[in-house]
Parts: sequence; C-alpha cells; structure tokens
Amino acid sequence: MSNLIIKNLTKRFDEVVAVDDLSLEVPEGEFLTLLGPSGCGKTTTLRAIAGFHHPDTGEIWFGDRLMNNVPPNKRNTAMCFQSYALFPHMNVWDNISFGLKMRKMPAAQQKTRIREALSMVGLEGLERRKPGQLSGGQQQRVALARAIVTQPDILLFDEPLSNLDAKLRVQVRVEIREMQKRLGITSIYVTHDQDEALAISDRIVIMNRGRIEQMGDPHSIYLHPQTPFVAGFIGLANIFEGRVISRDGDRLSVDTPIGPLSLIDRKRDLQPGSTVGVSWRPEDMRPWAPGAPNHVQATVLYSIFMGSITDLFIDVKGKRLRAQTDNTTKVADGDSIELSVDETAISILRKAE
Amino acid sequence: MKRDGTTRLHYLMLVPGVGVILFFIATTVIVTVARSFGLFSITGTSAFTLKHWAVIAMKETRDSVLYSLKMGVLASIGTVLVAFPVALFFRKGGSGKRMLGSLIKIPLFVPALVAAFLIVNLISYHGVVNEVLIGLHLIKAPLRMLNDPFGWGVVFIQVWKNLPFVLLILSASLAGIHDDVVDAARNLGAGRWAVALRIYVPLAMSGILVSMILMFIKAFGDFPIYGVAGPIYPPSISYRMHATATIFQQWDQAAVLGVIIIVTALFVVWAYSRLAEFVGGTE
Repeated sequence: MSNLIIKNLTKRFDEVVAVDDLSLEVPEGEFLTLLGPSGCGKTTTLRAIAGFHHPDTGEIWFGDRLMNNVPPNKRNTAMCFQSYALFPHMNVWDNISFGLKMRKMPAAQQKTRIREALSMVGLEGLERRKPGQLSGGQQQRVALARAIVTQPDILLFDEPLSNLDAKLRVQVRVEIREMQKRLGITSIYVTHDQDEALAISDRIVIMNRGRIEQMGDPHSIYLHPQTPFVAGFIGLANIFEGRVISRDGDRLSVDTPIGPLSLIDRKRDLQPGSTVGVSWRPEDMRPWAPGAPNHVQATVLYSIFMGSITDLFIDVKGKRLRAQTDNTTKVADGDSIELSVDETAISILRKAE
Repeated sequence: MKRDGTTRLHYLMLVPGVGVILFFIATTVIVTVARSFGLFSITGTSAFTLKHWAVIAMKETRDSVLYSLKMGVLASIGTVLVAFPVALFFRKGGSGKRMLGSLIKIPLFVPALVAAFLIVNLISYHGVVNEVLIGLHLIKAPLRMLNDPFGWGVVFIQVWKNLPFVLLILSASLAGIHDDVVDAARNLGAGRWAVALRIYVPLAMSGILVSMILMFIKAFGDFPIYGVAGPIYPPSISYRMHATATIFQQWDQAAVLGVIIIVTALFVVWAYSRLAEFVGGTE
C-alpha cells in the first residue's frame, strides 16, 4: 500500500488537453473518486496513474518513488475495468492467478491467496468457469478478486459498475467499499455517477475540462458546492446569479431574479455590489412558516408524487425552480404555494478559476 | 412458401454458387476415388481392382508425400511466424502503417508462378542475394538456395507469396481482442513477451489455426512453385501426380495420388477442428 502524489500533471492528445495541470495527494488507505462528465479527464488521469499514458508534464509519485518512467507492469497497481477485461480464454482460477504467476509466486502460496480472494468475493465453486459462463456481477467480482489478490499498492477502478443493472450496481459498490476498508488499499475510483461517488468515497474530486473544480468529502461536496458546475453536476440544484446588497456580520443579503435572499457567508470576503452565484437543493425548500427567512411565492407548474417526497416544478417571477417537499404536500397544477429556503442551505458559488 | 419464408426461388439462387461448387467437388472426388479402384477408367477397361494402390508402396511416392508434408508444415509455420509480428504491429498502429500495409499486400496480386520467377531472380545461383553476399565478402562461393535438395527455396517463396493472405486473417483475429484485456494483462505485471504469448497468441489461436490449415493445404498441393524452385528429387505429390498421368499415362495411379492429397487435406481439417476445440482459442 502506498500514498499517491500527482504534481502538475498535464496530458494532451494532439490539440486536446485532456488533463490540465492537475495536482492531487491521496493518503495511504483513502478511497478517492474522480467524478465528472465524459471528457473531463478523469479516465486519462487514472490511466496515467496506471502507466498507460505517459504524462506530457508533471510527476506521479507512489510514496517516495517517482513513477513517470515505470512501465505499467512494474507499478504494482491493479485496475478494475468497465468492460471487466477478464481473459476470455482462461477460467476464473487462471484469471485470478495471472498476476501472481507474473510475479513468479510459488504455487502453494498462489493457491492460498486465490482461495482467500475467491472467498472474499463469494465465488467459491466457480473456479473452473470461463468468463462467458458468468453473469455481469460475477464477472466484475472475478475482476475484483484478480485485482486484490496481487495486493497492489494502489487499486484503480475505471467505471467498474457501469455495465451492471441498477440493483446490482448498488450491491457491488457496497462490496467494493467493504473490501477496500478491510484491506486498507489506497483506491482511485473513476465514475460519472454522482450517487455512486457520494456513496462510496472518502473524498471526491470533481473534474471538468481537465481540471479540478472542487475536492472534498461527499458531505461538503453535496452541501457546499463552490462553483456553478459542481452545484449543477452533483444532485439537483436551483442556481441563480445575484448581486450582494448588504452585509451584516456573516449574513449577506443578495438580490436575485426571484427576489432578495438572505444567506450566510462565513468567509466574509464578499462586499456589497459583488456579483455572486447562489444555489440550493430542491429538498431545502420547505412550505413557508411565518417568520421563516427567504419567503418565496410560487405557482405550481406540475407536481409529481414520488412516494417518499413530492417533486414540485414551480414558477417564481418567471423563473423555473424545483422543490422537493415531504409526501404530505398536496397541491394541484396551477396552485399558488408559499415556500422558504433556510439561509444556511444556500451555497455561494465562486466562479471556477 | 415455407413457414420461415424460404421459397424455391431462394434455393434456385443458391445453384450458381453452392450448387456448382458441390457438383464439381462431389463428381471430381467420386470419380477420382472410383478411378483409383479401377472404375470409370479413362483407359477404357473398368473393373474393380486394388492394383493401382500398389503405387503407395513405391519409395518415390513415399518420398513425394513426405516432401509435400514437409513443405506444408514448414510453409504454414513459417508464414504464421513471419506474419504474426507484422499483424501485431498493424494492430498497435505506428507511423507509415498505411504505406506498409499497401506494400505488404503486393504478393497477394502476383500469381504464384510469377512470384516464383520473381524470387528466382533473387535466390538463384547468380541471383541478387548471392551476388550481394559475395560482394560484401560474407561468402566465398554462391549458396544453393534454388532447387536445393531440402526445398528451402520453395518454403521461402511460399512464405513470401502467402504472407499478405495470412496477415489479413491474423489481423482480423487480433482486431477482435479488446484493448482493455491487453491493458489488464500489463497492469497485472505481464511484460511484452508475456502479453504476446499468454494473451495475443491464445486469443488469436482460431486465426492462427485457420491460417496454418489454409497454408498447409496450399503448400501440400503446390505445383507451380515446386516446378520453378523445387528440388530435382523428390517432386511434390501434385507434380508426381501430374507426371504420372500425363507423362507416364498412368491415370489410375494418378487418381490414387489424388486420393492421398484429398485424404490428407481432410485429415488436416479434422485435426484442426479437434485442435481448435482443445485450445478453445476464443470465448
């Protein structure tokens, strides 16, 4: 196991800058997720860590070893691929033993390790099956066993659950997380699925156009997005641009297209007249109670009863917003409704550099 | 009209292709086999006899069969050994891939007899290769590469001539290997050789076996290349068959040699299918 340090990594493909001056430190044993839309550079970063892409500039360190010129087969990483990438001509046992054979491990030791790995992923009894005889979930478990059996310094996951159905995805991601915690292997996980990232990670790095937009634990990423991109990419958000009207200690008053909003700014770096972005989650909008701040008079465009919540699409001063209230809210399309947003739930979006 | 929508017209459409092939193959094979037993004899007297099969006891026949088997095995192995690294290069890509790809296909468009004459210019006693080697003082006297007793000249021409054909088959096989599978092997610690031997070769095994069987059958039944570059003795089995029929006028004995060629080809196809099952090359 090892920590990972990436310093000023840049990778271009012809004219396209896939990764742009990215720096990152991942402590030993951390589960870090690179999250972003297609083409944001997350997979390129992962493949650079694995050694499949040579950085144009920048450095990749595993602990105190500079890895830039170390070929993939000498890096002691193990990757789980989106396509599983099992060797179709080998059975489960041979797939799992491949990495151990490459390391010329004695046969007896190989057997012990493979049995442990098979038991860990719950595939005992399927050793003689070929990948084509397994379900998608079983194949991904074989890929996982094949990766962990070599006891890599760093585990790499390239959207490993994308090919599984929704139910299995949730099940396997829990298994991956439990296993990673048990083994304590530093893990880098790439996905474009925000739910997956929030559920599985110690820390999330949100990438956009080859750069890091925001980095933090799932809680802070979700509750305190710092850029319009992050607010829009993670979960659902109501996002507006506004101008600071006044400040009273931590409390800011911001003029927005739906009216003035009161919110908390602990950084205290915004002065009256400054332009800012503000965002809040639909679930932070509640039926208004007398005295509650940020009163919003809205018209219901349409409402959807979702079981545990009611999803409302509303119009406020010609702007379209989304609100999610509890399942007791009963409104009809065209109804007028009074809502409010807690001032601590509103995030201030500072433009990305 | 059948339930699956197949009409008589559909079967009629098969006649010019499959029908003609089946008709000529079937009639030729049946007549050849029958003639080897004295039936349908071209000489006029038709009666069942095993006497023509005495030809297989002759040393000359055995030598020809062994020579052709040798050529078949060496040419098939040689072509695959030469073509496989080239196919790997084309799979991975590289600068000049398109131009090299065009150049390497040239032998595909050259008839076998012409190819043999082209190579003769290179490897004959006073050919380009010998003259260059002597000019560079690497050898004192010319090497006998053409009509050599072993048949290396024939093997060389077979490999040259069939390289692009085998390359097409191997390239198609290698193209079916997912990049992630190769990356996974490298990621798990496999170096270049390990990736080649443990991933590329087994996953391209069906293409390798197809290439080898086609090459074997072509080289085993070779007539023109032996005629130009083969050893004085023994002749290839096809050459002996031709001579037996047209020079010695022993058509029935020639039919026996024809049956040997057919049976050998069928045996190789059977062995290939068994081997393919055993290797389990692909998913």
